[in-house]
Amino acid sequence: MSETLLKINNVTKVFGTHVVLKDIDLDIVKGEVVCIIGPSGSGKSTLLRCINFIAPPDQGEIIFEGKTWKRFHSRFNIFANRKYEGELPRLRSEIGMVFQHFNVFPHMTAVENVMLGLTKVRKEGRAKAREIAEQSLIQVGLGDKLNQYPEKLSGGQKQRVAIARALALNPKVMLFDEVTSSLDPELVSGILDEIRRLAKDGMTMVIVTHEMNFAFQVANRIVFMDEGRIVTMGTPDEIRNTTDPRARAFLSSILG
Amino acid sequence: MSNSQPFFDFAPIWQSRVLLIEGFGIAMFSAVAGIILAIILGLIIALMRLSRFKILRGFAFIYTQLFRGVPLYVLILWIYFGLVYAVGIDIPRIPSGIIALALLNSGYLSETFRSGILAVSNGQREAGQALGLKGWQVARYIILPQAGRIVIPPTGNQFIDAIKDSAILSIIGVPELMKVAQEQANLFYRPFEFYTVAGLLYLVAVLIVSRGITALENRFAKYSRKSGSSENSVVTTATTDASH
Ligand SMILES: Nc1ncnc2c1ncn2[C@@H]1O[C@H](COP(=O)(O)OP(=O)(O)O)[C@@H](O)[C@H]1O
Ligand SMILES: [Mg+2]
Repeated sequence: MSETLLKINNVTKVFGTHVVLKDIDLDIVKGEVVCIIGPSGSGKSTLLRCINFIAPPDQGEIIFEGKTWKRFHSRFNIFANRKYEGELPRLRSEIGMVFQHFNVFPHMTAVENVMLGLTKVRKEGRAKAREIAEQSLIQVGLGDKLNQYPEKLSGGQKQRVAIARALALNPKVMLFDEVTSSLDPELVSGILDEIRRLAKDGMTMVIVTHEMNFAFQVANRIVFMDEGRIVTMGTPDEIRNTTDPRARAFLSSILG
Repeated sequence: MSNSQPFFDFAPIWQSRVLLIEGFGIAMFSAVAGIILAIILGLIIALMRLSRFKILRGFAFIYTQLFRGVPLYVLILWIYFGLVYAVGIDIPRIPSGIIALALLNSGYLSETFRSGILAVSNGQREAGQALGLKGWQVARYIILPQAGRIVIPPTGNQFIDAIKDSAILSIIGVPELMKVAQEQANLFYRPFEFYTVAGLLYLVAVLIVSRGITALENRFAKYSRKSGSSENSVVTTATTDASH
């Protein structure tokens, strides 16, 4: 029935002496929407960044569509490490990511932002790339901003460019890292609607968010993290009625 | 000043005009060639300093310290006379001067470029990586264009310094503007006139270059400077950093 798209196996991440993620295991099924919640500093962003190796896991592995990705540990095995690093872009191009601070490219117009991945990663010709990019921007409601530089766009519009940029590559899974946290309150719901639309279309997504009502509504599964570990996870109903004391404390602090 | 002669005698200047213009041309050529080489070398050294290979970082660090630390005067003499004496490499006058200008300025520019690259926020690199761009593509299409915009003003200042510094090439006998002015001043016994005109010519060149830099800045001003770079980073012409 449901086919596992992404397996996070035993992932540990250390910064210096600080163990930020400890033995994380999480399987994500095709079409599933997983929301990750937890206090600030609990390692949610780091977990997303381990999935596409922007922050490579120190231990453990990522299995994506049956292929295992892991870092080589021998410092002397330069060739193996080079080969592994050379292949990472291929993994990343199948995984879309949207960031809290948008990270749109300020020196490119909206349409150029979206075209970059199409021309350089997907090797589309410019005309074809422009066509796809425009379609992608129209989808997120920016049909009238194609040739604007990000400087001229609102936070919500920048985030839409970032979403269009990721979606244009037709990724198999989307990672969202607190994508509404730096938006003005009135712009939040528009972005959440975009994510709901993707959920309805069956996109597999891992969403880090503090918008609990949104998470309860859109998620198939909610994961609660604290201090680098997955403390508990379950369906929205299970999490709403969780007996775990830390999860309860977190939920009551955030839901009031 | 004798009464029989005017305060500013233009006649000898006019007589020497061809030599002066040639000297000016050589000065500008040396400065432009020197700065172009310095930009190329500076970028290579900056990328080496940001490399993950310790050997490259170490080499780039020593390079930067060396060429920022030695006076141009010494550098020029060393390249022109020292290389022949020490290893038998005989480089003609003008190339020697250009190499000296290139080495000195590349030392400064590598630091400028390094801080320009570091001023582009990490989020930009991550966004590029997340799309599946290769390392060099992230550098080429995302980091360097933004860093380039940031380093235009300090690089322009370095160019202006190079124009003025080119006067030192006279010490190894390069027939550039300063050398011509000296010789003609002695010939006509009119130092005031010749040095004033030389100074004015340097000034004109500097003003033209300044305008060019402003134009270049405006051309790249189509997007805001702050949105792509982290707010707290400051780029200076000479960031001294011995801690790395
Ligand atoms: N690049 C880094 N270097 C050092 N420490 C980091 C780095 N990134 C994150 N951390 C640390 O890891 C911990 C988890 O961070 P993060 O994953 O951003 O948490 P969250 O997204 O849940 O707020 C924090 O203590 C943070 O300070
Ligand atoms: Mg975070």
